[in-house]
Amino acid sequence: MGSIREISIIGEAELRRMLRSARAVVLLGLYGLFSLLVLLIVGSISKAFQASVNQQVAAQANPAAIEQAYAQARLGLLGFLFSGDVAILEALKEIPLVVVIVFKVTLVFLPAYVALIGFDQLSGELSQHSIRYLVVRGKRSSILFGKFVAQALLLLSLVLLVDLGIFLYAKATNEDFTWLAMGKSLLRFWLAAILFSLAYLSLTSLCSVLFRNPALSLVVNLAALFAFWLLDVIGRAESLRLLRFFSPSQYAANLLHPRLSEFAISTAGYAGFAVLFLGASYLVIRSRDV
Amino acid sequence: MDHALELREVVKRFGPNIAVNRVSLTVERGQCYGLIGPNGAGKTTTFSLMCGYLFPNQGEIRILGVTPQQQGALKQKVGVLPQDAILPPWSKVGFLLHYWATLQGLENPERCAREALDLVGLAETWNTAAQALSHGMAKRVSMAQALMGDPPVVLLDEPTSGLDPRIAAQIRQLIRDLKGKQTIVVSSHNLQELEELCDAAAILDRGTLVQSGSMSDLTSIGAEFRVQIARGNVPLAELKALRGCTGASLEPSGILTVSFDRSLVAPEEIITCVVALLAAREVLILSVSRGRKLEERVLQLT
Repeated sequence: MGSIREISIIGEAELRRMLRSARAVVLLGLYGLFSLLVLLIVGSISKAFQASVNQQVAAQANPAAIEQAYAQARLGLLGFLFSGDVAILEALKEIPLVVVIVFKVTLVFLPAYVALIGFDQLSGELSQHSIRYLVVRGKRSSILFGKFVAQALLLLSLVLLVDLGIFLYAKATNEDFTWLAMGKSLLRFWLAAILFSLAYLSLTSLCSVLFRNPALSLVVNLAALFAFWLLDVIGRAESLRLLRFFSPSQYAANLLHPRLSEFAISTAGYAGFAVLFLGASYLVIRSRDV
Repeated sequence: MDHALELREVVKRFGPNIAVNRVSLTVERGQCYGLIGPNGAGKTTTFSLMCGYLFPNQGEIRILGVTPQQQGALKQKVGVLPQDAILPPWSKVGFLLHYWATLQGLENPERCAREALDLVGLAETWNTAAQALSHGMAKRVSMAQALMGDPPVVLLDEPTSGLDPRIAAQIRQLIRDLKGKQTIVVSSHNLQELEELCDAAAILDRGTLVQSGSMSDLTSIGAEFRVQIARGNVPLAELKALRGCTGASLEPSGILTVSFDRSLVAPEEIITCVVALLAAREVLILSVSRGRKLEERVLQLT
């Protein structure tokens, strides 16, 4: 039996296990609630801001100036979120501000959420020795990749559900936001989330295969996320700029870039991290005692 | 004879501790082989090395010509009952067995899974969640997964520990039924069980192989017998003078141990001569047994 078949058998069984367990529902609820909270906060602030602009437009003799000031404020905010790249700002023009902000905020907590989903994918099996039922039946690499595929499918489904909710909210509250624009943007944002999430899921796989204790693998996973965040912060200093390239979040902004070259560099960055972490996981699982 | 399993100079270290030290043994095809030893002897480590769970630091292991540590090498060749592996609690027994049978590449996974479950007398647990099983039932389900697809080699770690006597007897019967058809390796603390089931065994102590061989060699069944004396004066000098007798000793508990050279005398001849001599000297006998208990041999060696 080829590895692909083994991976699909393990992936399917793992996915069924996760869907039957309450954990998938809890995680969806957690992710959904957090996104909803951000959505409500950002939505209400945005609404109040828009209302204030509308009031000023009604009261002022020069509504065009106010509208322009509003557009400038929006651009400033987007510039802050996406490193001021004019091409991205232009591309995001059609998308309601609330969607962009919520997406950006969810990217901040998505790695931690990924860690929560998958920290025990292998360490749980190692701690209970239940992996021993599998290693005499299939390749160790099939176990690793089968579980990774299942986690990825669950994660991407959850992200799609939440993203869909956000876009539907945006559609309902913005008359200018057409169905076509919504569909295109949803696909783009989801694709960006996929690339982003898979790199972090690979990191979670690595942490999970390294340790027999699930709690320890979660702590190390969160510590690694903190280290990446630190690299990103330290790398803002001009003399230490190079350090930023070692942090996955360096490549996040251009995931929504309209130019193919910029998008491809970001994609390659995340793919590189995913290959690095998954490759390391493979080396560990093929040589470790279970 | 063709080896089913072979360990050559295998060493396994955990940090500074040597769990298995230069162990070499061979198990022939169709044999039922026991791994014996006290706690910490290295039985489970040796067993785990055979299953490919652990990687040896030195030496070589071959099962049916393949290295167990090679990825996927044991597929359809070996069935394993691991001692301390917990059945995933989230799934129903039927789902788990079906999943594992599919992964194993069996032709009709559901039929194989149901047959194996039926074999251990748990057909009714197909739709039961693993977490709802008692310890004994979980052990039998684990036994069922080891037997699925009739693998040529079956490795069983403590197959009857924690089972009530009736179920333990059923499992022993199951192993007896497999004898001759499949190669079986059993690791157990229950020496009486191993003596009864196994054709050969290896005795381990503190990671080292102390002795290995056929069960009759280990228990000296072909070179020694014991007589339980009720009363009377045992003529030790006369016994030692019998043809083929190489020694005779009497323990304070009344056990007379007679050893002999098989090349000079057949067991039935010397046993009859000794019993006749004792009867002639009006020594009253309670019982006669060949060899010594495996337990005594193990206690002597470890």
